[in-house]
Amino acid sequence: MPTIAELAAPNPGYSYAFLDEYAKRELRRRILKAIAIPGYQVPYASRELPIARGWGTGGLQVTLALVGPDDVVKVIDQGADDSVNAANLRRFIARMAGAATTTDALKATILQSRHRIPEECLQEYQTLVLQVPDPEPLRSVEHDISKARLLHAEADYGLLWLRLYEQLVRYRRVTLGASYPCLVNGRYVMSPSPIPRWDLPKLHRAAYLTLLSAGREKRVYAVPPYTDVRPLEFADVPFRVEDQRGWTCRHTGLQNKFMSELPQPGGSALYEISDTGFVEKVIARSKTSEVSVGVTYYDDAGRFYIDGYLQ
Amino acid sequence: MYVAARGGEGAIQNAERLYRELIGNFDAETVRTIERAMPYLIDRVMGEGSLYAPELAALALAQSGGDLYEAVLMLRAFRSTQPRLAYAHVVDAERMRVVRRISAAFKDIPGGQMLGPTLDYSHRVLDLAVLEGEPTTPARRHDGVDGLEGERTAKAGGHEVSERGDGAAPAASLNGELQLHGEKSHLPLVADWQRDAGLLPALPVHPCQDAAEIPDVTREPLLFPAPRAMRLQSLSRADTGGVLALGYANMRGYGAVHPTVNEVRLGYADVEIAHPITGELFSIGRVRVTHAEVVTAVEAAPAGGEASADGPAQLQLGLGFCATIGWNEVKTIAGAMLDMAMDLPDPHPSHTEEYVLYHTDPVESSGFCIHYKLPHYVTFGSELDVVRSMGVAKKVAGLGDYYGDGGGLAAGMPGVYSERAAPPAVSQAAGEPM
Repeated sequence: MPTIAELAAPNPGYSYAFLDEYAKRELRRRILKAIAIPGYQVPYASRELPIARGWGTGGLQVTLALVGPDDVVKVIDQGADDSVNAANLRRFIARMAGAATTTDALKATILQSRHRIPEECLQEYQTLVLQVPDPEPLRSVEHDISKARLLHAEADYGLLWLRLYEQLVRYRRVTLGASYPCLVNGRYVMSPSPIPRWDLPKLHRAAYLTLLSAGREKRVYAVPPYTDVRPLEFADVPFRVEDQRGWTCRHTGLQNKFMSELPQPGGSALYEISDTGFVEKVIARSKTSEVSVGVTYYDDAGRFYIDGYLQ
Repeated sequence: MYVAARGGEGAIQNAERLYRELIGNFDAETVRTIERAMPYLIDRVMGEGSLYAPELAALALAQSGGDLYEAVLMLRAFRSTQPRLAYAHVVDAERMRVVRRISAAFKDIPGGQMLGPTLDYSHRVLDLAVLEGEPTTPARRHDGVDGLEGERTAKAGGHEVSERGDGAAPAASLNGELQLHGEKSHLPLVADWQRDAGLLPALPVHPCQDAAEIPDVTREPLLFPAPRAMRLQSLSRADTGGVLALGYANMRGYGAVHPTVNEVRLGYADVEIAHPITGELFSIGRVRVTHAEVVTAVEAAPAGGEASADGPAQLQLGLGFCATIGWNEVKTIAGAMLDMAMDLPDPHPSHTEEYVLYHTDPVESSGFCIHYKLPHYVTFGSELDVVRSMGVAKKVAGLGDYYGDGGGLAAGMPGVYSERAAPPAVSQAAGEPM
């Protein structure tokens, strides 16, 4: 007599790219909707993954839904390819999807990022996947998500403008740091994940597709290619990126790229460019002419590549 | 093309190895021991992991060294990869094989109260003799009184416990299932009695929907206001501690209710599915389940829609419900109180649906909590930039008036830029390769 165990189908193990086909199909449909309505937060049934919530499961699910064996994946965390979380996510994606990995921003077809956009201008063949801890730009002014959705539906962003104005009155400047709210395609205000203000302009009329996904909060939204993205700013109080003029990278000698500050004993500080893949290429180019470094969003004098966007 | 990652990878592999060394070796026998020895822990992991798989829950506990949140995460991550083969028939609570049921609302209830397995009335005294090598058996009591004879007359928190036949006689374990001589498999629900008495609103005429039509919180996003099925599913897999904390706030008075436990029942339920060809229902196994119901007096909904302008407001009983797989009384009682509080007008913030359901998911909350261990220097750098631009930070040595602020709205923000000093001296060593 055969046993039930013998009769049962053998355990097939995990699906390609970990997620089962239903999960991938659902996510792809939600992504299409997100692309069709720029900046609009599309709810999705976020799956549990073998990494902890809040560590990039939203971005990871989008990446796993998109990735194929021919893709080249780059994963960065705060600009670095070799930070432990980035290394771990990259290891998982490569293991489950058989995709190649790279640290070169221009060689990647999918870039999953926590809180940075690379310094080199990304191109049409690329997709940027941003991990998002809190997708709701109205959270600070409206805790109730049902009411916040109503405000989005009516494009009622008065509370947000009021908050900026209150900051001007109290502090004489806008005190928002990273995750600066921005208006997408003139319709929806979105939270651009906690990228620094330095990176926000890079989303404006970008050639590439940006997908933003919050696994814990179960929302995906998108900035399609060549879409307007404008920070909330008053005509007489323009948006400002982080002031790092005068900071020089200790590895490359470059200025006007986004830097990490490294506190030193005695109260001083050193600086290095946060985008480690970029630093790698700059150093390699100084040794051999075979390496080419792409055009950067900010030139060495700190001018943004789209004239007039930053006042 | 494969570019090997640097630095980070070796570090994380070593870090994991250290963790594994701390836990030590374990094998299938260890896993089976955990499964046998810690049924309540297993139940909690299965409930929060929303997967009924005692062996896998035990494995997850072994692999995580007993870190509950990690174990739940592992189980859910595994669960999320499994196909949905069939939908179980809705469990009829009346047909549960009940091993424990308690009502605090009534001294006696149809079918009687059953203490079943519980530590409620035991003395929580550490059995130090075990450390001296004396084996523990179900019959040996810490106070030296052997057997369960003395407990025959025990009262459940002031309630009479009916003594049917040979009563709650000693348990025997068969295939891990508790066998009680006095157990019943068709105990009526207390709430049904109240419905018959007109104290509770009647159940809908067609209570059993097609199971496949019930919204599934693991497949669809939780939106608010949530369908009741989503709410109950979320509570069912919520973090025990989280549900307890918010439920406790309710019990302590942050909520205008004084709920009474109508019924808590623990038992076994058959998981029945329809045969794919004949359509006949058959049992594919038996699971431990808990359900709890609480009641309180609430304003009755007007019978015909509009309340009459002059008539006094009516009160009737409101019911809160929570159930979970596995035996977990604390979660279901606290959850049932929250369920009821959420339905009341103007609930306390900690009893609103969105607040409760979003904040008690063990995987989401614990994951977000520990994500703060990840580097945040980009966002923090942005914040520092703002703080410095306000001129409050102590000047960094060697940077002179680098962060000086012109002050004033008109001059303030541009001032940061215009008063730029020379690049700081510390960065003169720039250009060194990594």
